[in-house]
Amino acid sequence: MQQFVNLTLGGVITGAVYAAFALALVLIWRSTRIVNFAQGAMAAITTFIALSLIESGQSYWVGLVVALLAGLVIGAVVERLVIRPVEGGPELNAVIVTLGLFIAIQALISVLFGVNQRAFVAPFSTIGFRVGDNSLALSPNTLFTLGAVLLVMVGLTALFRFTRVGLAMRASAFGQEVARLLGVRVGRMLTLGWALAAVVGSLAGMLIAAEVTFVTPTYMDALIVFGFVAAVLGGLDSPVGAVVGGLLLGLLLSYVRGYVGDELVGLAALVVLVVVLLVRPGGLFSTTQTRRA
Amino acid sequence: MTRSSRRLVSFVAAATVASTLAACGGGGGGGGGGGGDEENEASDVGITEDTIRIGAHYPLTGVAAPGYSEIPTGVQAYFDYVNANGGVNGREIEWIYRDDAYNPTNTSQVVNQLVLEDEVFAIMGGLGTPTHNAVTDFLNSEGVPDLFVSSGSRLWDDPEEKPYTFGWQPDYEIEGKIIGQYVAENFPDAKVGLFLQGDDFGEDGAAGAKQFLEDQIVAEETYVPGNTDVRPQISALQAAGADLVLGFNVPSYTALSQLTALQLGYQPQWFYSNVGSDPALVGSLLARFSEGAVSDASLLDGVLTTEYIPTVDTPDDPWIQLYQRVWDESGQEGELTNYRAYGMSMAYTMIQALQSAGQNPTRDDLVAAVEQAGADWEGPGFAPFRYSEDKHAGYSGMLVSRIVGQGSEDLTPVLVTDNGDAEIEEYDGEATTPPESGIPDEEPVN
Repeated sequence: MQQFVNLTLGGVITGAVYAAFALALVLIWRSTRIVNFAQGAMAAITTFIALSLIESGQSYWVGLVVALLAGLVIGAVVERLVIRPVEGGPELNAVIVTLGLFIAIQALISVLFGVNQRAFVAPFSTIGFRVGDNSLALSPNTLFTLGAVLLVMVGLTALFRFTRVGLAMRASAFGQEVARLLGVRVGRMLTLGWALAAVVGSLAGMLIAAEVTFVTPTYMDALIVFGFVAAVLGGLDSPVGAVVGGLLLGLLLSYVRGYVGDELVGLAALVVLVVVLLVRPGGLFSTTQTRRA
Repeated sequence: MTRSSRRLVSFVAAATVASTLAACGGGGGGGGGGGGDEENEASDVGITEDTIRIGAHYPLTGVAAPGYSEIPTGVQAYFDYVNANGGVNGREIEWIYRDDAYNPTNTSQVVNQLVLEDEVFAIMGGLGTPTHNAVTDFLNSEGVPDLFVSSGSRLWDDPEEKPYTFGWQPDYEIEGKIIGQYVAENFPDAKVGLFLQGDDFGEDGAAGAKQFLEDQIVAEETYVPGNTDVRPQISALQAAGADLVLGFNVPSYTALSQLTALQLGYQPQWFYSNVGSDPALVGSLLARFSEGAVSDASLLDGVLTTEYIPTVDTPDDPWIQLYQRVWDESGQEGELTNYRAYGMSMAYTMIQALQSAGQNPTRDDLVAAVEQAGADWEGPGFAPFRYSEDKHAGYSGMLVSRIVGQGSEDLTPVLVTDNGDAEIEEYDGEATTPPESGIPDEEPVN
């Protein structure tokens, strides 16, 4: 029983981590209709910036704020300098550019911060709460992770649903010309979308780093795949879908690890993805089948 | 150094360097095999009148780089030391190592480069089971000596199929046997859990341990390197009630398993195989946690492990004193670590092999020398090698120790054994000391 409880709790935590990453993907998809493969590397570089600060004696929170700001700047710069020239062309071009960017940023991290594994200390205790004689796989830090992910989810949903900026961002993504005719500054909206997505990505990077404990320039690689699966499960369009998709995936993979074997984790994720796409091609939370301009 | 002056060293080695501290080294290295009898020749690929080129692949970047990337610097330091003292038969050793990032695809590529472009005489110390396994066929078909693979897999001991490949460290199966017997004798009532890397490393180790612990094992959990979440595995061990966990894992998973167990309030007796237990590396990974959430600074205190070569926590050991001197002289950055000591121990064995191969060896001569003389070499290892024409396996034994702070205390004498159901026996040989010069002096086999 204790094992089941701990596997479930562990699954929720890993699920939250996948969700954090999926949220950033959803954000960029909703605001620019691009799948950003460089998301993981962008998150990793801001995490390393924060880690350097933390290692030099600053508090975690200073590191976090700097990481988020760095994310904002990097997101905007990347959009303006790298993505803008290929925007408006075939969709594949932008996606391939993000792949290139992924490799380039990862290399840059190695150059700037070295390739060694480094310890990332979580902001809160990672020692599990105790119930009677048993320890739960639930600690103050995992509550922080869960809380932060839920907060971002709510924030993004509110942004897109209730604010003029959110509406303008959605409009820019769906139909640039129509949006322009209606007075939306499309260029700015696209930049803002990238910048915000990079901020969420940076937060995800920080949360994930605390969960995986040891980071290298490639530490996001393993999570990128699962983050994508989570986002696609949720339909790529819905912040709530990303979180639910992440949690479901996290739970399933945790059970697979605990009861079947670590080596089947990748396969299990693939099976889930195929089944969901067969049954609901738009993802679990899709409201419309195709809505493109 | 010009060719003629190098030859001079070869002829009058003892006289030339007699006044220096390294006199005996020069005599041993330069004169080994009666260097004055005949002239040096370019007797095979990678060997000239005054150089021998040795190549290797290591993970210098990526997940496996911490620790392992230090090994070639230790090798470098020792080869530099030998070169400064006359080289081997007057030949300077050129040491070329390339980064494969612990990715077998890269390994094939860099080893191709080493063999075909750099034209090395031999490969030494290629690191990793999946990585090196990708190149053994190529090396054997090209007839390149593939000495002293840095991995305890049993794959390297296959003289029929892979006549050019040799292991070096004790293989994981005999380590598993020695660990298994120790646990069965000293913890007869323990419920044993296994924490295994999901490849040969974990499988061979578990197979050895099971010879003695079949009835005591209550859980067996594996992880795939790269998956950083080991909560499910540690939860499963905890749920099975294992109170002694044997880990056949790499160092970063030692750190991860320790932290995860702490998070889950799980406190079994831990027993990590030699590979995963380097206290300095694991300690450096865990150090930052001692300041924050984790209160206990010495998480590894009391953990059991095994040893087969001297480690840097015994500064009085004559081998470590030699290594320290060699390391300081090499002027490279950083401290002498266990990984560098490992590299130096292997480099020492390599010099023995080259000396045994004679003055103008071919690649086949080198292989024959290891087969014929290897079992008699005295070096830093606690137990002798198992080399023969029918056996290409490395060290035959190790001892069990307990980690105390940054050091360790021995719990058993050196125990030697062999694969399969060979008995485990106490080794009756003496502990060795390095020669005065710090350089071996083996007679050529032919």
